[in-house]
Amino acid sequence: MHLPVDLVFRMLVWGTLVLGALIFGLVLLGAGIQYRRDRQNRRRIVLYQAWEKDLDAFLFSPSGTSRPFPAIPQGDRFLFEKFLARYYATLAGQEAEALRELYLGLGLHHSLPERLRHRKATTRAQAAQEVRIFRLTDQLEAVVPLLNDPVPYVTHLAAQALTRSGDLQYAKPVLDWVLREEQYQRDRLLRVLEGFGPELLPWMKGHLPPPDQDPEPWILYVLLVAAHRHAASQPSLGWLLQIPHLDLQASVLKALSVLADPVAYAWVLPFASSPAWEIRAQASRALGVLGGPSAIPTLLALMADPVYEVRRNAAQGLADLGHAGISALTWTADDSTADRFARDIARERLEWTDERGHQ
Amino acid sequence: MSRIWPEDTKVLVVEDDAATARIIQARLEMEGLSVFTASNGVDGLETLQQQDIDLVTTDLMMPAMNGFRLVQEIRDLPPPKGRVPILLISSNQNEQDMVRCLAAGADDYITKPISAQVLVERLWRMLQRASAAG
Repeated sequence: MHLPVDLVFRMLVWGTLVLGALIFGLVLLGAGIQYRRDRQNRRRIVLYQAWEKDLDAFLFSPSGTSRPFPAIPQGDRFLFEKFLARYYATLAGQEAEALRELYLGLGLHHSLPERLRHRKATTRAQAAQEVRIFRLTDQLEAVVPLLNDPVPYVTHLAAQALTRSGDLQYAKPVLDWVLREEQYQRDRLLRVLEGFGPELLPWMKGHLPPPDQDPEPWILYVLLVAAHRHAASQPSLGWLLQIPHLDLQASVLKALSVLADPVAYAWVLPFASSPAWEIRAQASRALGVLGGPSAIPTLLALMADPVYEVRRNAAQGLADLGHAGISALTWTADDSTADRFARDIARERLEWTDERGHQ
Repeated sequence: MSRIWPEDTKVLVVEDDAATARIIQARLEMEGLSVFTASNGVDGLETLQQQDIDLVTTDLMMPAMNGFRLVQEIRDLPPPKGRVPILLISSNQNEQDMVRCLAAGADDYITKPISAQVLVERLWRMLQRASAAG
């Protein structure tokens, strides 16, 4: 098919014009958006600079009596919430209390129910953070649904808000959330649970399913005992040590070495010959802390273990014993008839000890 | 409690978070102290070498040079700059980090969130101890 040259030429001209207009329109739109953003940023900077001065006068008035904070226009409240958020994590004591009063005085908490359900994750997260920082206990119920939020950092902040309240009526939803999370996050989640304080431990003991049926929550229990160094829970650890579950027993041994009560030495000793290396590794660490010089023969035997982690912990256990343990390490390192594994790990540990200046 | 700071006491605040640095500066200026700020260890060390600083507060986690390293670098300087009292400020409450900081030569350690009263009191005590030690 042949089109007339004239028609082709006109189509090319019009096509070029339309394309040019489209590009021009897009450039204009982009410039408009950029101009708007720049204007917003400039306004934010101006407001922040003014608020910084106001905040200094409000918090640190040389006369000793704080000046009232100027009123914040409704349209600037969102910016002010962000501004205030920068100081949430920084201040404690009197100044934190003053910030709380300022926050409540300006009525910023009135929008929390709406912000906790906002479509933007950052807004939900900030709202949950405000509930935690300003201890807004009347908003905690509205925070609970955020434990099912699809955005991980929102759930994390929600859990923090609930745990920091110390109110054990929220222990169950938070614990359920922790148990739903991936295991590799356990340390991070433990820190969240620590927010409830040691009072969570008796609560867990009374509410968790039997450990032989569901040991996972009990592992958290054990790790929390260690985190709080909660000596009153040691008898429970002795009981949990009898549950034949590898992770649970390893966690209990770890917790016992943190509690460092020599009474637990007799509980730990049989685990030094466990067929599971994870158990032997934790037992060797605990024996050094709990056993004193009487643990030396067992730890020397564990230094010849086929698994490196066990040997390393046994050597560490000996080093923890002080002079007697270091002598045992030195003797092993110099003994040409000693097991090669034991000799190598003893030398490694002694070199490390020398580098660190521990003796 | 009112304190009478020696005239022209200079404090160097090394902190990468602008809001924290500003709030510390405001509180210390309220005490009548001269405050210099730096946003990382490298700038902090430079300021320390240029000014007669009496006290240093430093954050732990910073770009370019962190708090541990800054403490080590300061302690490697010849006296009197190498002996300037150092207060570490960190959001990290890890026990081992605290021990590491103190072993590196820091004089004291506080964790965020900061109570401005505690901060001032610690700095005051550090200055008193440094003056007593000559």
